[in-house]
Amino acid sequence: MSDFLFYILATALVLLSVMAVSLPNLLHGAISLIGSFFVTAALYIMLRLEFVALSQIMLYIGGIIIFMLIIILLTTGLGRENRHPVNRWRRFAGAGVSAGLLYALLDTLQSAPSSILSGPTHRAPAVTMDDIGFRLLSTSQSGFIVPFEIISILLLVALIGAVVLARRDKCEEVLK
Amino acid sequence: MNPLQTNTLYPVQNSIGDMVREIFPASAVYINGFITIISLLMLVSLLPVFLIWLERKVAAHFQARLGPMRVGYHGLLQSTADGLKLIFKEILKPEGADTFVFFLAPILPATATFLVMTILPFDHHMQVADPAGGVIYVIGISGLSILGILLAGWASNNKYSLLGAMRSGAQMISFEISLALIMLLIVMVTGTASLREIVLSQQGTILDWWIFKLPVLGSIAFIMYMISSTAELNRAPFDISEAESELTGGFATEYSGISFAMFFFAEFVNMFVSAGIATTLFFGGFLAPQIGIGFLDSVLDFLPGFFWFFLKTFLIIFLYMWFRWTFPRLRVDQLMYLEWKMLLPANILLLMVGGVFLALGWIL
Repeated sequence: MSDFLFYILATALVLLSVMAVSLPNLLHGAISLIGSFFVTAALYIMLRLEFVALSQIMLYIGGIIIFMLIIILLTTGLGRENRHPVNRWRRFAGAGVSAGLLYALLDTLQSAPSSILSGPTHRAPAVTMDDIGFRLLSTSQSGFIVPFEIISILLLVALIGAVVLARRDKCEEVLK
Repeated sequence: MNPLQTNTLYPVQNSIGDMVREIFPASAVYINGFITIISLLMLVSLLPVFLIWLERKVAAHFQARLGPMRVGYHGLLQSTADGLKLIFKEILKPEGADTFVFFLAPILPATATFLVMTILPFDHHMQVADPAGGVIYVIGISGLSILGILLAGWASNNKYSLLGAMRSGAQMISFEISLALIMLLIVMVTGTASLREIVLSQQGTILDWWIFKLPVLGSIAFIMYMISSTAELNRAPFDISEAESELTGGFATEYSGISFAMFFFAEFVNMFVSAGIATTLFFGGFLAPQIGIGFLDSVLDFLPGFFWFFLKTFLIIFLYMWFRWTFPRLRVDQLMYLEWKMLLPANILLLMVGGVFLALGWIL
């Protein structure tokens, strides 16, 4: 059952990703990108990585995609079929890069099958949100407290920076 | 691929679930899942019918009118009739509109509300799923509604629609930050992000609800939640995205028939969802309002949890409807001023003071 589900999701993911890069209409591409993000989240849930799946939904669908959409909607010439002509050499280069990547992947998977394909990962207990929280904030050797705090401060600075940028508005005079 | 252990993930732990498990031990997982989804679907489709009637009645009584009276008892069936009319209406598509996006857009907000409903704790064992990061899930999924509105505005090929969608998108994104920070405060003081655990952390008397348990801060956080969620819902006084006098119908101008109904339905279910989350975060969710008097408490406990959940939620919905007829509509710049220069700094301050309270143990 779950294998079957995996193949459905994987097929959907591949199709949506191909559509995201190949559709001539930019907005349609963005919509299929949303779909592929959702399918990726579903795959994470199948791997019992609940937290990663939720972050995927929150950050990519709730945040990044919305901003991408606003940018797309604000640019002109939307809705036209704006397919960029790709010359033959670029196509060859793209095919070469993909073939090389595929070869490297297959090679790695075949040379060390024991550690990747049939390793003990599927027997490991699922990582809960509590584990992630404790690990992030632990001060021991394996903890991530310093990067966590630095990122928090960075995000807070970005948030306050947005407020500061908004302060130079004309609406203050309008309101008075 | 590791096998999905569905039976350990989300069992339906109530009497119906047990019954199904007894009769069909092997396939109980799928049957239970199916039953929960179907019952939720029924709730989602019936709620807006009732809420629209309620909205019209409340509005009418605020204006000293009677509101719908003809169809059914006090007009109870009015919204059913309206819904039927909308279903049979022809769906018009403006010329030059993007067909795919135009028909996709109304589905997204409806989907989002349904997805959030799956994790609302209606009762002790009446919850489809309880992910450990429930709050993160709520914040993430609500992005889908914004998506639907933005796409609808663009796909309509109408400048009023696009303007309305852009206003609405900017508004919802800004106020989502406030909402997330308020939810973060509750997550911080409870120490869990699962909605069920948040409810269970408020066991006891009324004073153990987070609105009172955090002295002063709780009520301030609730008021801020109400303001930002009203804005997030695009309801008056923050309904600039479909301000009738300026933008005809906002992002939904070009929609008709069932596509329009879907936006409308999603809006009302969204109101229920955000009131339900307010109940969960601040008012003890499905817990009975016990006041510490032995006899009365046992009487209150006798009533089922979902009764209390729906009672509290509908009280908050009434507050939303009350707002609509109390405050005049804000201008766009005033709205942004409110969020970025007042609510956001206040939120960060609230979070800091909440941390201090938590560190000092000033929680009732």
